[in-house]
Amino acid sequence: MRMLVVRRGIGIAALLAAGVTIADGVTPETVSETVLGAPASTWFIAKGGLGAAYVFDAADGEMRGTLSLTPWTPTVRRHPGRNEIYAAETHYSRQYGGERDDVLRIYEHATLNPVAEIDVPDKITALHRHYLAILSGGRYVTVFNMTPAQSVSVVDVEDRRFVGEISTPGCAMTLPAGERGFLMMCGDGTLQWIGLDEAGAEAARVRSEPFFSVEEDPLFDEPVQTPAGWQFLSFEGLALEASVEDGQIAVGDSWSILGDDDDGWRPGGGQPITFHAGHDLLVVLMHEGKEDTQDQDGTEAWVFHREAERRIGRIKFEEGMTASSLLVVESDEPADEPWLLAAIAGGVRVFGLRTGKRERIIESTGGGSLLRY
Amino acid sequence: MMKARGSRMPGQGGLLARMFDAVARKSTTGLAERTSRRGFLGRVGVLLAGAGALPLLPVARSFGAEAPAEGETAGDAPAVTALREFGDPQSCDYWRYCALGGSLCACCGGSASACPPGAEPSPITWVGTCRNPADGKQYLISYNDCCGKAFCPRCFCHRTEGAKPVYFPSKSNNVLWCFGVESNAYHCTVSAVLGEAPDETAEAPATE
Repeated sequence: MRMLVVRRGIGIAALLAAGVTIADGVTPETVSETVLGAPASTWFIAKGGLGAAYVFDAADGEMRGTLSLTPWTPTVRRHPGRNEIYAAETHYSRQYGGERDDVLRIYEHATLNPVAEIDVPDKITALHRHYLAILSGGRYVTVFNMTPAQSVSVVDVEDRRFVGEISTPGCAMTLPAGERGFLMMCGDGTLQWIGLDEAGAEAARVRSEPFFSVEEDPLFDEPVQTPAGWQFLSFEGLALEASVEDGQIAVGDSWSILGDDDDGWRPGGGQPITFHAGHDLLVVLMHEGKEDTQDQDGTEAWVFHREAERRIGRIKFEEGMTASSLLVVESDEPADEPWLLAAIAGGVRVFGLRTGKRERIIESTGGGSLLRY
Repeated sequence: MMKARGSRMPGQGGLLARMFDAVARKSTTGLAERTSRRGFLGRVGVLLAGAGALPLLPVARSFGAEAPAEGETAGDAPAVTALREFGDPQSCDYWRYCALGGSLCACCGGSASACPPGAEPSPITWVGTCRNPADGKQYLISYNDCCGKAFCPRCFCHRTEGAKPVYFPSKSNNVLWCFGVESNAYHCTVSAVLGEAPDETAEAPATE
C-alpha cells in the first residue's frame, strides 16, 4: 500500500482579504498542507551527517518529507508502534555557541515535526548512526555518549522521562539485542551486553571473550540487524553473526566473503553492508584496494547467501560511479522483489536485488546515510 | 573527528565524509604512506581512549608551550621548526596529514598547526605517526579539531591510514573531537608535530 498523503486546505481568505480579484470562469485554487498517511515499507531516510533528514519512497522515487535536525544529529530511529521518530540532539542557544542543551527529541510521523523532548545529559556526541537504539519492548531508548568518557543515557519514551546514565568504559555504540538490552562493540575485541530491568535500570552486564583484533582485522562499526542478532563484517572480509541468548552473548563462526579469485578486492564504504532477511542475503560494497581502504566507496555490490556462505551475484555500478552506502528495502506488494538502494553521486540508485537491474535514479537525496523509515 | 590516512580514493564513505558530502566529493586524498605504527599506536590508543580525565601530555606540549605573539599564528613547536619539511600544507598530500580526516585549517585562516582566528583547539586528540619524506623519519602527529565556529568547507581531506572504527575512538575518524571546549561545533583540523616517533614505530619500510 502506498500511501500517502492527505492535504488540508486553508482557504483563500487571505487572498480575498488582500483584495485579489478572481477572474470569471476560473476556479481559485487553495493552498494546502500535507499530512503523511501510513508509511510503506519502501520508505527510507537519506541522512547527511550534519543537518536534515529526508524521507523518500523507493517505490516511486518521490520525496515524502523532511525532518529538521540539528547539525549534530547523525541519525534517527522510528518507533513503528508509537508512530514516532526519535533524534538525540545537541542544541546551542546561539547556534555555534552559548548554552548547550541536549535532548531526545520526538517527532510525529504525520508532519515530521517535533512534538516533545526529553532532557538528557549534555554528553551526546555526533558520532555514528548506531548511537541511538530502541530496545525490545519499545519503552526504552538508549543514547550513546562520549566526552570522551563513554556512557549510555536511558530514556523512557512512554513516560517521557530520562531514566539514568550507565557508564560503559571501553565500549561504544548501542545495538538493540536481547530482552530490554543492547550490545556494544569494545576496543579490546569483545562485545558487551547490558540488560535493563522493567524500570530501565541496569540489571545485567556481560562481556564476550575477545574474538577479533582491533589492530589486525577490526570489525566494521556498521553491523546490520538480523532476526537472530547482528551481522558483522571485518575489514578483511570475515563475516560472523552475534546474538544474545538468555542473557549471554553468542558469537558464531566466521566465514570469508572472499574467494580464491577475489585477490585485491575489499569491503568498504560508510555503510558497507545490508541484509535481506527473507532470502538470507548479505550485500557488501566492494572495491579493489589495499589495506587501510576501509572507507573507500564501492564499485560493486556483492550479494552473498549467508547460510551457503557463497556469493550468488555481483552488481556493478556504472563506469566511474561508486557507492558509499547500501540499504535493502522491501515492497509491501508480495509480487514485488526487494530493492537494493545504493548512495551514489549525491543521490540514490534503486536496483532490483534479485536481478541487479537498475530500476530508477533518485537525484539529490541530501545525504549519504540510508536508513529504513 | 578526523583521522584517516590513506590512498588516493575515488570516494570515501566515512562518517566525516558523509557529514560533509558536498565538499567531500570535491576533495582530494593523500598518499598511502605505509608505516608500521600499529603496534605503537595501539598502546597510545589505549592511553587516549580512557583519557577523559587525563592531561594529555602530547597535546599540552603541542599547544600549551607555544603561546604565539600577537599577530602571529600559533603554529610551530620547537620540534617542528627543527624539521625540514617539503610539501604544501594546503594539500591533503602533505606529509603530516597521513591520518587526518577533516578540513585543513591551513586553508581556513590558520596554519598546519594553528586554529583560525576565534576557533578553539580541542585539548582531546588522537595521535598518528607519519613519515616525513624530507628525512625519512617517523614523527608523532597530534591531530586536533578546532571548534566553536561554523564548518569550514575548504580543503576537505580523508586519509585513513591506521584509522579504526568508533569503538576504538582514539584512532577513529568517525568521532568529532571537539571535546573539552566551549562548543562542539566542528570548524577544521590541525596537525602538530610532537616529536620523533620511537624507533619501534619505524620498523617497517615506508613505501612511496
